[in-house]
Amino acid sequence: MADTSTSSPAVPGGIAAGERASRRARRGQSPWVRAWLILRRDRAAILAAIVLVIIVVASLLAPLYAAHVSRTDPFRSNLSGSITIDGQSVAIMQSSTQGLGLGVVPIGPTWRAQYLLGADAQGRDVAARLLYGGRNSLLIAGASTLICLVLAALVGTCAGFFGGATDMVLSRLLDVLWAFPVYLLAISLSIVLISQGITIGPVEIKSGSLLLPIGIIGIIYVPYIARPVRGRVLALRGSEFVLAARGLGIPRWRILRKDILPNVATTLIVYIPLMMALNIVTESALSFLSIGVQAPDASWGTIMQDGQTLLYTRPVVALAPGLAVVATVLALNVLGDGVRDALDPRTKLR
Amino acid sequence: MLTAIIQRLAQMVFVMFGISALVFLIFFATPGADPAARIAGRNAAQETVEAIRHDFGFDRPLPVQYGIMMKRLFISRDLTSFVNRGLQVVPQVLAAAPITLSLVCGAAVLWVVGGIAVGVLAALTRDTIIDKALMMLALIGVSMPVFWFGEMMNLVSQSRFHDTWLFSWVPGLGYKSLWTDPWGWFKTLVIPWFTLAALYIGIYGRVLRANLVEAYQEDFIRTARAKGLSPARVMVRHALRVSLIPFVTMFGLDFGVLVGGAALLTEVVFGLNGVGRLTYQALLSLDLPMILATVMYASFFVVVTNALVDMLYVLIDPRVRKS
Amino acid sequence: MTRLRKPIIASTAGCAVLALSLAGQAALAQDRAALMEEHRGGTMILTAVSAAGTLDPMINYTSQFWQIFQLTYDGLLKFKQGDRAEGFVIVPDLAEALPEPEDGGLTYTFQLRDGIRFSNGDVVTASDVVASFQRIFKVNSPTSGSFYNNIVGADLCIAEPATCTLDGGIEGDDEAGTVTFHLMQPDSEFFAKLAVPHASVLPAGTPTEDAGTEAIPGTGAYVIASYDPNSEMVLTRNPEFTEWSVDAQPDGYPDEIVYRFGISQEAAVTAIQNGQIDWMFDPPPTDRLPELGTQYADQIHVNPLAAFWYAPMNTNLAPFDDVRVRQALNYAVDRNALVGLFGGPVLAQPVCQILPPDFPGHVDNCIYTQDPGPQWSAPDMERALALVEESGTAGQEVTIVAEDNATSRAIGTYLQSVLTELGYDAKVTAISPNIQFTYIQNTDNNVQISISQWYMDYPAASNFLNVLLSCASFTPGSDSSVNISGYCNEELDARMHAAMALSITDPDAANAEWALIDTAFMEQAPMVPLFTPKNIDFVSSRVGNFIFSNQFRWVISQSWVQ
Repeated sequence: MADTSTSSPAVPGGIAAGERASRRARRGQSPWVRAWLILRRDRAAILAAIVLVIIVVASLLAPLYAAHVSRTDPFRSNLSGSITIDGQSVAIMQSSTQGLGLGVVPIGPTWRAQYLLGADAQGRDVAARLLYGGRNSLLIAGASTLICLVLAALVGTCAGFFGGATDMVLSRLLDVLWAFPVYLLAISLSIVLISQGITIGPVEIKSGSLLLPIGIIGIIYVPYIARPVRGRVLALRGSEFVLAARGLGIPRWRILRKDILPNVATTLIVYIPLMMALNIVTESALSFLSIGVQAPDASWGTIMQDGQTLLYTRPVVALAPGLAVVATVLALNVLGDGVRDALDPRTKLR
Repeated sequence: MLTAIIQRLAQMVFVMFGISALVFLIFFATPGADPAARIAGRNAAQETVEAIRHDFGFDRPLPVQYGIMMKRLFISRDLTSFVNRGLQVVPQVLAAAPITLSLVCGAAVLWVVGGIAVGVLAALTRDTIIDKALMMLALIGVSMPVFWFGEMMNLVSQSRFHDTWLFSWVPGLGYKSLWTDPWGWFKTLVIPWFTLAALYIGIYGRVLRANLVEAYQEDFIRTARAKGLSPARVMVRHALRVSLIPFVTMFGLDFGVLVGGAALLTEVVFGLNGVGRLTYQALLSLDLPMILATVMYASFFVVVTNALVDMLYVLIDPRVRKS
Repeated sequence: MTRLRKPIIASTAGCAVLALSLAGQAALAQDRAALMEEHRGGTMILTAVSAAGTLDPMINYTSQFWQIFQLTYDGLLKFKQGDRAEGFVIVPDLAEALPEPEDGGLTYTFQLRDGIRFSNGDVVTASDVVASFQRIFKVNSPTSGSFYNNIVGADLCIAEPATCTLDGGIEGDDEAGTVTFHLMQPDSEFFAKLAVPHASVLPAGTPTEDAGTEAIPGTGAYVIASYDPNSEMVLTRNPEFTEWSVDAQPDGYPDEIVYRFGISQEAAVTAIQNGQIDWMFDPPPTDRLPELGTQYADQIHVNPLAAFWYAPMNTNLAPFDDVRVRQALNYAVDRNALVGLFGGPVLAQPVCQILPPDFPGHVDNCIYTQDPGPQWSAPDMERALALVEESGTAGQEVTIVAEDNATSRAIGTYLQSVLTELGYDAKVTAISPNIQFTYIQNTDNNVQISISQWYMDYPAASNFLNVLLSCASFTPGSDSSVNISGYCNEELDARMHAAMALSITDPDAANAEWALIDTAFMEQAPMVPLFTPKNIDFVSSRVGNFIFSNQFRWVISQSWVQ
């Protein structure tokens, strides 16, 4: 299920890039400005950014769409309703009348404001749910990326900078997480947490909460980022200018803040779009296996799951959210390439 | 050298212990995980449930249960399932392995050939429309959720276009043994191979292209070109050789993870009863012995391939050997 | 899946009695010989998404394998391998005849048939029967405490299974070939309990532990030659078998039956359409139904089941500790919508009572519908909203626990929508089908409302009402507490006990009382009955002579493939 590649960036490109980046930084010229200038000239990346903005805005406008265009509640079953098409009343759930009369089929795409893409097995407007689903998918992907990067930066920097026993313990922990097949870890955690929720001290996370998939997805990919971060920090720590700085008696925390963290930051920023892309796919896979977002909330993965039971009769229910995922992930990847080229051309995700 | 191997082994044991302990704890933290009532059967008397709990040792302390289970998994190798009683889990994993191997090996051939073709072609036609188109295709491959792509392939090949000449040869879902029906084996696996490989062709093609482009800027390639060697020779003998090093390490790791069961989604979508699907079924039915066996098997492959790749890396990359 | 794994047991109560003349039987036998000549042989291929666990007939408690055990094992008595309601008739199997009760129903003596052999060649003796009944307790059979606890000495056996003797409860005489049972109480369902696979007669030397994947020798027409739960089970003819009763253990048509596991429903439908597989255990996916109902109509068999889907509400937890809330949900649920989710009116029927239609004790009477009357007609939303308002519970959080499969999840989502409309903050959680059933029973998990199904154990009203709603079925903190609503009503409990006692002497009067008890429970509404499902079998075009027994469903061995 992880059918996502998991190998590490085994290319020792970090040292040179790190030195170059810090030299740039120390020359006092902001690398961010330079990166922005490069990125602005990258037409593919700009296009991708525009596509992403459109997707995000469309998702944010979901309530307006539901209230004024589709005029249905996308979270309420509508099994006995009907709509008017060309002056004729059409049932949303249509019982088969031919042969033995087995099965009930939801209305297909009407290509009108109401039920633009048809209904799902609960008689809900697929188009409206797609927009609401986008909100959750993007929210989960974004938040889990944030969690993942913060944790990875913390773990990777500590391990790399302090070395010794700290490094030993953290690295072994990462090894365990690393060798635990990603999706298996996610599934095991989800099966436990989805049914009961979790209580950490005073904080209680309910079983249906979005925080659960966010946390789970945030944790499972930590080794993927923490390892390169550690490698980068390790290389920086051994680099000439850090050794020189230490020789001059500059305190450790100052070296950490001035020389090491800025470098780690560029690495992390390069990972943001790529991780978001990965997380959207992961979220959809977990929800597809019904251990991600819980009903009545929607996400692209849950809509795909709904669509799976309608694959033969109404394939559009599975097709549409899949295309939404592909478009978003594609745009994120293109943007990610652009950001990488601009900031740090030698960083490689996986 | 020997110490390095011992260190590796110790590390491996530690990782596998960590994972098994984690799985074990997660299992017992799961609400409703107690298998006694499920094993006892519907509406069983309280006494019967208690007797079952005692028989299976669920009333013993967790470390003892863990020890017994590990012993039965690794030493006596007679650990039996909680769900299908009397079913030994080790032979089950071994029986599922060839199916996963068939899937992953076929896909690996496709993605290595495809990845190299895409990477080389794109590097040779750098910045032309061909390069751009190939890279866009590769990105699309990377962007598709594999289970969704598999579903769509099924929809097209099993339903919508099954009656046309294009897909009429596609057999029903499920695995056919290579030994009893080689042609059927091939036919059932073609679409799963392609589905699984699509992602990796994208990734490998992109990585290879980037490496080749980088290699062409290195001094020894410039020298080779300056000496007037044919472009094909430069590509194959020099640039490709250097660029394939990261390719090989990536391949090793991905292959290990997939053989270990990470091809789960592909197996589920195509109804192939490989290790991944076995793990998934075991997780769904909370069959702890089966979960432990499959997860141990998977992590074993990950750890071993990690070690192999590290060693291989030392052997093939002169730069690393020097340092 | 568990939905279909839940077993079915039936008793004589309320069964149709088959009355065929002797001449008619002779003609039938001749036909049968001719048919046997024409169609005997070949390999039949069955399929299921997954296997159903152990091969031990005393432990396995799934309808999936009970159907298979019909071909491989015999008890003293057996349900007839007949069509529809005939499947409820109990016929003598290893015993020569149904014995008359002695001592006012406390003693039964069975005379064994001569010369029946196990597949290992040994002759079946009275000692084998005695050892088999001891083994039920020694292997902790799930029903040891509910079906066989009425045999004298059973209480000791339940307390100390390893040393079980059933002293004073069962006597075997190898010379005379008789087995005598002594019961503690008269039991109108005793014969039914002897006719299910848990009471199979096995060789006396059978190890007293779960047989797991190794088949125990049996007396049936087929033997299980091999079994791998992740691959397949192969059944071949029993070389020691000679037909002694067409009703109990008829000779089969196919030479070999292969039961494949691990094939998805989608794949199985396609394979049956292509003629590669003959039958699937699991119901076809709902999106394939329109196609099957039109292009493959003559390969589809739809038959009624004595069962219902229902939503038990935890009467000890807010908001369902208020009877008005439980009634409100009963008024609000649109059963027609649920029928649609299950595949349409052909495959299900709306219900608002506990006893299923055409079941002993069932009298059409729906109190939770617009214009209450015999049938459910439409939801009454106004009334539901008024009741919720009265209870003052609107706005509370409610979590519905569904099984993680398409149908249960869809029903959960629909109920969530209804509860939201009633003013609650409702969520659905879908958990693995394998654990959901025990999870929702345990009060420690604080499940407010869930979705479950009950398939009849026997066509006796007690099997629904007494099992699902008696005080004895409620054990707080246990995973085995099948009164999921946790509803204990002393007065109704006493009435149920009286009705069960009455059924021994006057079944009709007892059934009339059960109908009243059903209504009395529904007034308290510990559950929302949703619909009664129907069974759908999809077979390949070469399968002939499809017989559906209401007891154990399709009689596999009586269909042919050539």
